[in-house]
Formats: sequence, C-alpha cells, structure tokens
Amino acid sequence: MRHTSLWIGISMMLLAPAVWADASDGQRIFQQSCAACHTVGEGKRLGPDLEGVTKTRDSAWLNRWIREPDKMIAEGDAIAVRLLNEYGRVPMPNLGLNAEQADAVIAFLASGSGAALPAAATGIAHPEPPTGEGRGSVQNTASIAFLAITAIIVLVFLYVARSTGNPMPVDVQKAYKLRRVFFISGLVIVVGLLATTLFTTPYPDAAGTPDRVVHVTTLQFNFVFTQEPVASAQDLQTAGRIGNLELPVGSTVEFRVTSLDTTHGFGIYSPQGAVYAQTQAMPGYTNRLRVKFSEPGVYSVLCMEYCGAAHHLMKTVFTVRNDDHA
Amino acid sequence: MHEMKKVTLGWMAIVLVLFPILLLLGIFMRAVQANGLANAEEWFYPFMTLHGVGMVGVWYVGAMACAERVIARYTGSNDGLSYVAMGGTVAGVVLLLVCVLGGKFASGWYFLYPLPFKGTWPIWSATTFLLAMTVMGAAWLVWSLGLLVGIARKYSLSHALGWHYIGGATEPDVPPAVIITTVSLLAAVASLLAGVVVLVFFFVELLFGIRSDALLMKNLTFFFGHVLVNLSLYLGVAVIYDVLPEYAGRPWKANKIVAISWNSVLAIVLMAYAHHLYMDFVQPTSLQYLGQIASYASSLPPAVVTIFGALTLVFHAKMRWTLASGMFFLALMGWAIGGVGAVIDSTIAVNAKFHNTLWVPAHFHTYMLEGLVLMVLGYFYHYVQEHTRIPESGLVRILTLGLFVIGGYGFLATFYLSGANSVPRRFATYPAEVAHGATDSAVGVMFAALFLLGLVVFTASALRRWFRASSDG
Repeated sequence: MRHTSLWIGISMMLLAPAVWADASDGQRIFQQSCAACHTVGEGKRLGPDLEGVTKTRDSAWLNRWIREPDKMIAEGDAIAVRLLNEYGRVPMPNLGLNAEQADAVIAFLASGSGAALPAAATGIAHPEPPTGEGRGSVQNTASIAFLAITAIIVLVFLYVARSTGNPMPVDVQKAYKLRRVFFISGLVIVVGLLATTLFTTPYPDAAGTPDRVVHVTTLQFNFVFTQEPVASAQDLQTAGRIGNLELPVGSTVEFRVTSLDTTHGFGIYSPQGAVYAQTQAMPGYTNRLRVKFSEPGVYSVLCMEYCGAAHHLMKTVFTVRNDDHA
Repeated sequence: MHEMKKVTLGWMAIVLVLFPILLLLGIFMRAVQANGLANAEEWFYPFMTLHGVGMVGVWYVGAMACAERVIARYTGSNDGLSYVAMGGTVAGVVLLLVCVLGGKFASGWYFLYPLPFKGTWPIWSATTFLLAMTVMGAAWLVWSLGLLVGIARKYSLSHALGWHYIGGATEPDVPPAVIITTVSLLAAVASLLAGVVVLVFFFVELLFGIRSDALLMKNLTFFFGHVLVNLSLYLGVAVIYDVLPEYAGRPWKANKIVAISWNSVLAIVLMAYAHHLYMDFVQPTSLQYLGQIASYASSLPPAVVTIFGALTLVFHAKMRWTLASGMFFLALMGWAIGGVGAVIDSTIAVNAKFHNTLWVPAHFHTYMLEGLVLMVLGYFYHYVQEHTRIPESGLVRILTLGLFVIGGYGFLATFYLSGANSVPRRFATYPAEVAHGATDSAVGVMFAALFLLGLVVFTASALRRWFRASSDG
C-alpha cells in the first residue's frame, strides 16, 4: 500500500508539470484569443463568462466549439444556435486554433484558477503599468509647437479685441504690406517644414531588408502572429501561429498586417505606454510596417481603428529582449 | 409670417433642440471613459455613432441654413428647397434614432466599410442606417444643387467664383459670401456624390452579395467626410464675411486676393482628404505626399486672407460688441487654433504617432465646438436679434461667452493632453497602458458641463427672441 501511494505520488509529481504546462499554455492562448469577449469569473462580455464551463459542457464538444464555431452554427448544433441567439446573434469567430491549442484552453478553464495562475508559469510577460506619460519626442515636439502657436493666436486676438477700445482709421495700404510679409513668412515656414518633414515617413524602403518578418492577422477582436501569411480563417491553423512573440533588441522587424473581417489598427505601444509605430489592417490588403526596436521590454499592441463592440479590449503583447533568447 | 423667416426659424429650432441632446451624448461618452457610469459601457459605441452622425449633420444643415439666408439677400430665396432638406433631415434623424436605439447600431459616423456588415447589431439596423444616410444625402444634394442654380440665375459661374477679380476686373461687385458659398456648394456636390457612390456599393453588397474594395471605399468615405466637415466651416465663414462688417462698421469686400484664396481652397480641400489614409501603407506614396502638401497649403489662404482680413476689419474699429459679434470673433480664433492642431497632425511623421489618438477629436472638436458652432449659433442669434431688437443683457453676454470659452477650451485641453499622451480615440474604457485617459475624461466631463451650462444660458436668451420673432409674423 505504501508503495502504491508512493508510485501515485511520484506519478502525480511527474504529470503535474505537463498538466500545468497545458493550463499555462491555455491561459496564454485564452488571453490572446478569448479574453476580448470572455472572462473567467468576472461576468459576461460579448460572450459568456466561462467560469465552470468545463463542468457543464462535454470536453469533446468544447474542443470542437473552440476550433470550428462557424461550422457548428452552420450545422445547426442546438447549443451553438442557442448561444448565438442568447448573445445578440454575435457569432463566435473561427480563430484558427488546432485541437491541441483547444485542449490547452480547456485545461486552463478546468484548472479553476482563472486569472490566478502565476504570471511566471504562463510563459507570457504581462505588461507592467506604463512608467512614462505616454509621450515620445515627436509627441513632445508637436505639443510644444501647438501650444506656442496657440498662445500667439490668442494674444493677437486679444490685442485686436482690445484695440477696439480706441477706434481710429486703419491704413489699408499698410495692412496690405503687412499681409504680404505675413504671406511670404508663412510660405517660407510651410515650404521649410515640408522640406524637413515630408520624407520622414513610416513607409518601408523597398531596398532595405528586415531582420525578421512577422505576419499579423487581425480579426474581431484578436491579433494573431504567424510565421506565414494568412488569407482565411482556415490558414490560421497551418500558418505557424507564434504563441509568444519575442524579438531581439536592435532588430528591424517587418510586420505584414492584414485583416480577415473589418478594418483594424495595429498600434504598437512602447514599454513606457507611448505610441511607437502603427499601421492599419484592411481586409484584402497587407500593410508592411517596418520597426526597429532599440529598447528591450514588453510592447503592447492596441487596435487603433474602431472595429466594433469589443474594440477597446482588442490587444496583445510581445517582448523585445536584449539577450540571445529572442 | 414671411416664408423665408419661417424656414430660418425652423432650422434654428432644429439646431437648438438637437445640439444639447448630442452634447449630452458626448458627455455620456466621456463619463463612461472616466469609469463613471457602471454598466453603461454597452451604449458607448451606439451613442458615439449617434453623436458623430448627429453633430456632423446638425452643423452641416445649420451652416447651410445660415449661408442660404445670407446669400438670399443677393440671389433671392427658394424656400421649397429648404423644406425638402428639412424633411429629409428630420426623416434621416428618425431613422437614425430607430437603428441606434432599437438595434444598437454602432459603426461610427463614417461607417467605414465593411464594419456596418460586421457588427454585433442586427442587419435591419445596418440597413436602416444606410437608408438614413441615403435620405439625408439625397435631400442635401438636392439642396446644394438648388442653391447653386439660384446663384447661377444671378451670376455666371465665373463671376460667382470671382474669376473676374483674378483677371483684374473690379466689376460686377460679387459679395465674398457668394464666392465662398459657391466654392462650398461645389465642394458639397463633390462630397455628397462620393457619399452616394459609397452607399451604392453598400447596397450592392447588401442586395447582391458583391463585395467592395476596402481601400477604394476608404478613399471615398474619407473624401466624403473630410470635404463635408470642411465645407460646413467654409459656409460658416461665408456668413461671418457678410455679417461681421455690420458690427465693425467697415466694409469687407471681395477682391483679387479673396478670389484667389477661395478658389485655391476649393482645389486644396478636395486633395487634403488623403491625410486620413497615411496609416494605410498600401495607398500610393505619391498620394500620401499630396495629402501633406495639400494640408499644409490649406492653412495659408484662411490664415493670410480670412483670419488676417477679419482681424484687420476689427482692428481699431468702432466695434459693436454683442453676443453675436463676440461669438463670431471667438469662432475665428477657434477655427485658427483647431487648424493649427490639424496641420500638425497632417504631418506624416507626426501622424504616425497621433493617428487615431485623442489628438484627432481634439483638433476637430476645436474648429467645430469653438469654431463652427459659434458661427452658426452666432448667426441664428444675430438673425432673431435683428428681428426683435430686444435689449441685450451684458451679464448674459459675459456669462455665455465665458462659459463657452472656459468650458469649451478646458474640455478640449483634456483631449489634446490625452492625444499627446498616446490615448487612443474611440475606446469605451481604457486598458492599463493608457489608463491615464480616464482621469482626463473625468476632467473633460466637468468642463463639458460648464459648456452645457453656457448653452442653457444662450438658449434661454435665443429662445426668447425666437418666440418673439415667430409671433411677430
């Protein structure tokens, strides 16, 4: 009996990391693919609260529902149709997850720990609250220029308004001369600014080569990183999903961004919480965003084009590392 | 009551009823963003749609109604046209209310393709929304074309556009309001035709399942939206050109420079829309450059000719400061400040950081709230005041203008601050990365409430004159 208990204990110790790995993978996938529409124990969003769902639904059914919700709805699966009607006829999207990934999500949901799994065990770095004010040098320069010009405008309007307290004729010729000076000065400033800023664009240089290409597929309300391009939901299963994107510091990465449904935005936020780079994601098109990452840390990605009810919840993260693990 | 007066009072009533409601929706949105309204989040995007479409529509029809009344002095009026536009507008508003309140339709005001077909709302609400756009678009197109025909009956196109001034002639005398209104109406026709094409593509997909090209639709949509908003401002400026001289006691005539300026505006405004697509990297790069060049160029004619002209008109003038003239003067300042915010954002390198952050609503709310709104409300007030001559209270004037300035610019400052701090626009609530946006929103609510208070004071004063003008017959 003692031997039996010992063996059971040893077996459990050996199996636990495997189950834990499944659950932790599942949490990562859940956060990346499901969390915009579902919570675990925090109430309904676009879809149901999934706390205890593994006790009320058969695991084979759940696995298929996670992988092929579109097909199950089309086939008229009774539970699928009931859920569709109950949640405002908002269909659960096909996110291109395979059977193993679906099992990992189920394992996470069955673990009963919800969001309580330790971050270290999830293999995904969660963004720390931003330490900066969300402003980079461009934002600072633009804000200062705006404030300065606004102050001048306000002062001029105040000066002119006050002048009406002392009515007198205005020399029109003098005003015309001033206008000419104003126009020429304005023209010089406009041309000068155009010359200095026009070619500082975020558009990729055809001649350059990035260190790495990452394909980004957007769909309500998820970002999916893959090794290969994606043209349909089915491609997501075979395109080499990158679960935990890590990039080396100093590398130039080209994100090839597209959408499978409506227009989204792909806005990369620096570890300080400032917009670092962005492009739009349009159905039928691929925008190439080339970014050099000069600082390590966790970068968030937010949707920068309004895309529907859970637009503000659509996000993901990736890590830029300054070691050789990336 | 004279038919012309009845029409203008009708438009004034529509604006005064709809504006506070739409303003409250805006305050609701900022309150949700401030985490101040638990369980109301699900209404954020439907109300955002109603607020956006409503505000753009209200200030377009408001500006059209004012410009129509101003140029009627020179071209005569066609009130039947105005009633068609009014009927279309009211029908459109009803359809909008049905699809948003009944179906929670929430595609945003520019209903970017293919979002109306990809939302969490029922398809009937998307169809109703598209019908609302169709009804209003058709009515406004008829209105714009009709006003152009009215101008053409009095002036040839070349005279209405002031080309004879450019050629060196000084006769015939064409008021600046006519030139600017003609420019604006031509832009309106172009804008509304683009809107018609967008709607046709939507209906083709709805009825026959034929999908459209997302990039083409985006270009058409932003051409429509950008031009519509800008021409609304130009119509407001046309009104100021005509009315401000009455308060300054000096003439503000058209000449070669004014004609060159406004003709160039027509060309530039049609190209500047491209700055809305900077972050669509598949757009031809030449169009991106054109977007920045046109946006920068668009700042010169208004600054050098209109703003400078207005300041010269007022400088050391024996100015009759009233609520209306104060609003006009402040409106020009708001237009200028909003324009600066817009030009900064139209720099491609800056837009890469500011695109779809709160900097965008910051600048367009500046030239709308502190520009066009003051132009249109100022003119309506001027109109009923001219008809009633009720003595104006200095206290009401100071209170109204003070609340408009403090409330309005305080509210706008929170948008600019959030935008500079990378807070995205159109987020019902803010994730941890941009959580500071919630604080800005809360402050914004307080300042917006002050603006609303100013509007209440203004409306009370304006309605008193409105009722008197209505009953005077």
